[in-house]
Amino acid sequence: MACPAAAFAQDSTRVYRIFWLSTQAQPDPFLDGFREGLRARGYIEGKNVALELHYAIGNPQALREVATELRRGKVDLAVSSGPATRAMTAVAEVPVLFALSGDPVELGLVQSLGQPGGNFTGSTFLSLELAGKRVELLKEVFPNLRKLAVLSNANHPGEQSEWRATKEAAEKLGIAPLYVPFAGANELDGALTLVGDAHADALLVFPDVLTMVHRSKIADFAIAHRLPSMFGWSEYCDAGGLLSYGANQRATYFWLATYADRILRGEKPANLPVFQPTRFELIVNLRTAEQLGIDLDKSSILFRANRVIE
Amino acid sequence: MTRPRRSLFLKYFVTLFVAVVAPLVLGSATEAWFAFRDNRIDLDERLQVEARSAADRIQAFTDGIRDQLGWVVQFPWNEGEDDRHRIDGLRLLQQVPAIVSLSLIDPNGTERVFVSRVSMNRTGRGADMSEDPAVVGARANRVWYGPVHYQRDSEPYMRIAVAGNRAAAGIVVADINLKLIWDIIAAIKIGDTGHALVVDDSGRLIAHPDISLVLRSGAGSADFNRLKSVVSADEGSAVSTTGEDGKPVVALSVRAANVGWTVIAEQPVQEAFESIRAALWRSLMLIAIGIIFASGLAYWRACRMWGPIRQLEDGVERIGMGQLDHRITIQSRDELEQLAIRFNQMAEELAASQHKSERINRLKQFLAPQVAELVEHSDQRLLDGQRREVVAIFGDLRGFTAFTARAQPDAILAVLRQYYEAVGAVTSRHEATLIRFDGDGVMVLVNAPVTCEDPAHRGIRLAIDMQAAVQSLASTWSADGCALGFGVGIAMGPATVGTLGYHGRLDYTAIGNVVNLASRLCGLADDGQILVDPVVTEHVNDSIALTSIGERPIKGYDHDLEVFAVVRMYAPIRHLGHPFHPAHVRPVAAARVRTTLELAATDAG
Repeated sequence: MACPAAAFAQDSTRVYRIFWLSTQAQPDPFLDGFREGLRARGYIEGKNVALELHYAIGNPQALREVATELRRGKVDLAVSSGPATRAMTAVAEVPVLFALSGDPVELGLVQSLGQPGGNFTGSTFLSLELAGKRVELLKEVFPNLRKLAVLSNANHPGEQSEWRATKEAAEKLGIAPLYVPFAGANELDGALTLVGDAHADALLVFPDVLTMVHRSKIADFAIAHRLPSMFGWSEYCDAGGLLSYGANQRATYFWLATYADRILRGEKPANLPVFQPTRFELIVNLRTAEQLGIDLDKSSILFRANRVIE
Repeated sequence: MTRPRRSLFLKYFVTLFVAVVAPLVLGSATEAWFAFRDNRIDLDERLQVEARSAADRIQAFTDGIRDQLGWVVQFPWNEGEDDRHRIDGLRLLQQVPAIVSLSLIDPNGTERVFVSRVSMNRTGRGADMSEDPAVVGARANRVWYGPVHYQRDSEPYMRIAVAGNRAAAGIVVADINLKLIWDIIAAIKIGDTGHALVVDDSGRLIAHPDISLVLRSGAGSADFNRLKSVVSADEGSAVSTTGEDGKPVVALSVRAANVGWTVIAEQPVQEAFESIRAALWRSLMLIAIGIIFASGLAYWRACRMWGPIRQLEDGVERIGMGQLDHRITIQSRDELEQLAIRFNQMAEELAASQHKSERINRLKQFLAPQVAELVEHSDQRLLDGQRREVVAIFGDLRGFTAFTARAQPDAILAVLRQYYEAVGAVTSRHEATLIRFDGDGVMVLVNAPVTCEDPAHRGIRLAIDMQAAVQSLASTWSADGCALGFGVGIAMGPATVGTLGYHGRLDYTAIGNVVNLASRLCGLADDGQILVDPVVTEHVNDSIALTSIGERPIKGYDHDLEVFAVVRMYAPIRHLGHPFHPAHVRPVAAARVRTTLELAATDAG
């Protein structure tokens, strides 16, 4: 990896313009990770890099205007987080970095993970594969699991595929999944009420910017309703979720900043392979387990956990 | 004559230059060569160490996985123990991050347990894998390393299969994500920008510090294959070639034997030979400075040598052309300065000697040679103007005008030559001063410039000898039919003597009445007669027989003067065709002399 000092040497007078596009409002945990990554590469906001934030809360369509602006203005790089990527597919003039749960090949953003071939590259979390894994882990912790409530933001790209994979896995394990979709933050409360009324044995929440932002609310809801919960990212467990399994988000966005650095130095996104996380973290929140009265010692989950919150 | 003007300068310059530059160049070249060799050996060692270390760590990585896998195939398969095996598998996943999934296969080749980080686990009898190359390979060799493949066209994976000690223990087949080797390779830094990379046998990239190159699912493997074959060809020593990014690198390869991969350690040529380039640069600078210094020194030295030599040469040339006052200034404080001093001394002496010889030559015109030498070697001031007592003697041929009218020029010159010779010889003998010849006349001075004892005596003897010599000549001339006589006048008195003249024409002359008087007496004298003035007479009375011929009027004198004549020891040859009347018949040739003498006498008076 290039040393951070080289970033300054590149062109000290130039201020790079980076568009940050998201369908969620601040606070944006992913943006923090990206900013941290940029700082580590030697970029200082306001000095040699300018981040312009564009949020279209729950409405990816609104970002299309931003995309138009993006094509006209002198923007060096666009970074789209989650669903916002959908609005960007038509942009071909500016390098676009994405962070997706789904498969970018399936979405038509890149030709292949190894050689994207266009102006898009970034990171995929392989949520699709992990969807089944999460159901399996829940089943291991609660062998008596029969009914699983699945909370999902329908606006999330690839959400349908994720639901299908989850459904398939659940059925294979003899679990009845209860699909509770919602679109946007204002539907979240209604969705949670639905989950509370469903009398499910456990709750599975799809990882997504929206649920991420409202993770505490969801985690508290799960505890209040004595629902063992499973999430996609460790941040959910920190907020009180029982279990999470997935790639480290912050690390991914941090790492995305290195791609931003390389693109700003002139490398073509076409030659930068889409990055896939190598390590998947299993996080267990023992405090939540205690609150729920669950004895996790019986299962193999504790020795498999990468981190246990006590 | 050709003048090889610059050859000495060139010789000196080239010799001095070469003397300084040659050892310098030789020394620098030797140093550079040794530095290059040491650098090369050092580079070889460095790359070897790094490549070997990378290979060892990669081997340790795969060996570690192999050993860990061996741990799950220690116990034989028993019915109902699938769950225990599953736990083993899960624990192994926990233990080894690189393992993405693993299958536990019973002795029959049936998959019994499958655990994965990504996919869903399976327990119980699964697919028949007895024909799987991993199972076949592990059965044959206990350990089997599969080929590298790229999952989802991106990430490098390989399968490792390990069989238990006993066939009953079954086989474990693990999927390994080779991206994790990145940690090993990224940690290897060779110099500042050098790195290590790993390729498999077909040149596909397995590990590289820039992970994005690896994730391109083997794209660019042609480049890496070329690099591998070039570098592997020269096992154990570094090869200069083009790196994967098209820049020149120095690379060395080491094989990781168990998996059959090649670890290549490379460093950009730019950096690898940085120190040797710096050393070469230093050497070149040194040589350049040396050359400038040497040429300056050589030029200066050659000039110091050549300049004085040119000056000397020039000086010799000038001296040769008679410029005796030329002097050379050399201040080199060495033999050359010494030589210049000697040269100047030589020029000085040469000038003095020439000056002297010029003076002697001039003196010899009117002095007897020995007198001239004496004058020259004694007091130079002898020739300075002064008043002193001198004896003036005048001689004059009689009948010369008539002779010249008749005779052939050859004959005239022959007569004059004999006459001058005779008079000259007599003058020399008596160490008197021959002032001049003037046609048939002659003037001789005694006691000037060289003083002598008893000048009157010497003068009268000279006059007598001169008369005798000319008379003896006259007798031979008369035999040839030329009737010529000779008369002499001698007087003594004070006169002003000294050199007179203009530029190179210098004459020694006496001015005064005495000269006038002697001339008049000469005019009065008959052939064979020597007329003497009273002063001389007074001095020589006692030894020379003189007779008075009575008082005679002398031009320029207020009163008549008594004139004496030397008593003849021989009779004059009376052979002239006409009576000789000196008072009335004056030789034409003597006219000019007389005029000057008259003027001189007037001046003196």
